[in-house]
Amino acid sequence: MDHSGRRSADTDGCKWDAGKRRDSVRWCFVLLASLEIGISREEALEALQVVRQECHGDTARTPGGSGATRKCTALELLEEEQTQGFIITFCSALDNILGGGVQLTKITEICGAPGVGKTQLCMQLAVDVQIPECFGGVAGEAVFIDTEGSFMVDRVVDIAAACVQHCHLIAEAQQEEDHGKALETFSLENILSHIYYFRCRDYTELLAQVYLLPEFLSEHSKVRLVVIDGIAFPFRHDFEDLALRTRLLNGLAQQLIITANDHRAAVILTNQMTTRIGQSQSTLVPALGESWGHAATVRLIFHWDNTQRLATLYKSPSQKESTIAYDITVSVPVGRDMPSWVTLSPGKDCTQI
Amino acid sequence: MAAKKLRRAQLSQEMCERLSRYQITTCQDFLCLSLLELMKVTGQSYYEVQKLLCKVSRACAPKMQTAYEMKLRKSVNPSSAFLSTTLHSLDRVLHGGVPCGSLTEITSPPGCGKTQFCIMLSVLATLPVSMGGLDGAVIYIDTESAFSAERLIEIAANRFPAYYDSDEKLLCMTRSIHLYRELTCCSVLKRIMSLEEEIILKKVKLVIIDSVASVVRKEFDTKLQGNLAERSNFLTRGASVLKYLAEEFSIPVILTNQITTALSSGPGVRADLVSPADDLSLSEGSSVSGKRDSAYVTAALGNTWSHSVNTRLILQYHDLPTRQLLVAKSPVAPFSTFFYTIEKSGLVLQGHV
Repeated sequence: MDHSGRRSADTDGCKWDAGKRRDSVRWCFVLLASLEIGISREEALEALQVVRQECHGDTARTPGGSGATRKCTALELLEEEQTQGFIITFCSALDNILGGGVQLTKITEICGAPGVGKTQLCMQLAVDVQIPECFGGVAGEAVFIDTEGSFMVDRVVDIAAACVQHCHLIAEAQQEEDHGKALETFSLENILSHIYYFRCRDYTELLAQVYLLPEFLSEHSKVRLVVIDGIAFPFRHDFEDLALRTRLLNGLAQQLIITANDHRAAVILTNQMTTRIGQSQSTLVPALGESWGHAATVRLIFHWDNTQRLATLYKSPSQKESTIAYDITVSVPVGRDMPSWVTLSPGKDCTQI
Repeated sequence: MAAKKLRRAQLSQEMCERLSRYQITTCQDFLCLSLLELMKVTGQSYYEVQKLLCKVSRACAPKMQTAYEMKLRKSVNPSSAFLSTTLHSLDRVLHGGVPCGSLTEITSPPGCGKTQFCIMLSVLATLPVSMGGLDGAVIYIDTESAFSAERLIEIAANRFPAYYDSDEKLLCMTRSIHLYRELTCCSVLKRIMSLEEEIILKKVKLVIIDSVASVVRKEFDTKLQGNLAERSNFLTRGASVLKYLAEEFSIPVILTNQITTALSSGPGVRADLVSPADDLSLSEGSSVSGKRDSAYVTAALGNTWSHSVNTRLILQYHDLPTRQLLVAKSPVAPFSTFFYTIEKSGLVLQGHV
């Protein structure tokens, strides 16, 4: 009786305080409250929470705040990771070193010399993300943000046609019912209609587009892949103020991480390589500086060794560093209506280092 | 798009006035500020600033198109996607010819035929569409004073004798090729910036710059401090304006480059080797593996430039008079080699044409 009586008086006291000085109550730590008023810590916490609820009723809800303070236990995260799909690349060696394929909700950076196949891989992934679930895909759509102008529609048509053909072959071999149904909607026209293409000419357009991305992804909730082909190009010229560049890039990276998490999409960025002049030699390093290296979760570097293309997994939280060889193949079309089959296929020796 | 004034972004009059006091007048200025700075200059709350950001972003973000719409647009106008080079094997490998809307680079040691190739392409661009041309004018920016009008007429008369059967037709063709002689980097850049008006006025369908390397290498000595960064800056600025022009008007842009010999001593300089095809010693066969650490030849202007061009063709000597044409970088073609000679009618491919 005494205890509860004292409690109600103190809660009233807290409320009274709140009425008078809202701000000070907000900064009132539980420990301090329990010490001053002489109640237990749990009771002080209860009292504060009552006050907080009243204060929070006034402030408007943040527009993007739904995912801003997400917390979960490691178990929940494990379950989420295990049921999550990967975007497969159709090159089994590459999928293996990535741990199954391109992961959703993470930023993957692909660095490489010019002509090594970065845009090819991006175009392939824009098609692969749409593979129906019964064939092992994530049945999503793709957003392609192009800053260099290297997107070739004809190439995407070839890749998509080959992918559809491949799925048809699987369906014939396995003869399952849902395969047939999925194939009805997995047509060339549908694949192309679900690649949303934006051409950004300079860094301002890129910044604007990334600001508008959450809204776009809320309207098109099936998007599971965002590709920015050429994050380096708009930032590598006309920038005397390197501090501004670092700040803008960090801001971009942050927004992309939030977007990737909120909408369960994979983000792929392609980066250029630049020559760093050392004391006696020069080496090829990813562009945009050291601090940019922290932005991506997974980093793949494509490079050459003589005439063999190699892909090295350089940074990953769950897979170990390894290198594989790959090829970009095109089968020579025999007739005019046979599509060319473009794929990243494992090279002759798949070296796992 | 970046220089769009905030007034036109549908911000209120008083907001624009307030921002102009802080010298923020364009969308670019607005988007470069951090959220905190924006809150300070606009005097608005966090949520209001988010809404303003979305408004400004919408004003300068690019328009969305699906890949399907792009394909439909291309199929409506198929002939305008390429400039056929009339070298049939090359056209087949490049899926039509020199692509419109992107930058193509032709690199070679001196005397291999870059200027000849450029002159030949100028003739082809002025041909009517029915003969595989683009039926338009040509802008030829000459930095080496290597253009010869007599050779132009010789190529035209010998390559298409049936079409150019009268002097009248030849003179008409020469009238549509506009030649500019620029001898410094600064004037080349100024000329590139002013090209937009010329393209619209004169109905230009092809832009040739012969050669970028000669002006750049004359003025920038990369061994001096700071010159490398300045050179990269100049090149990427030029490249981005040219890319914009190429895409906006759907025309091919052709640039020529030189070959440089790099003396190497060890693995350090291997870094500059952007692709095996660029290492011309490799294309001579597989017996060169022992010679890797002595001198090797590569395209000039560095790594950053190689990222900016979309297609790269390399010409080099074989057994005189035969020469070799390599497709070193292309989003649609694999590495291919062709042999050609230079005749009265321009370049002629050997073997099965």
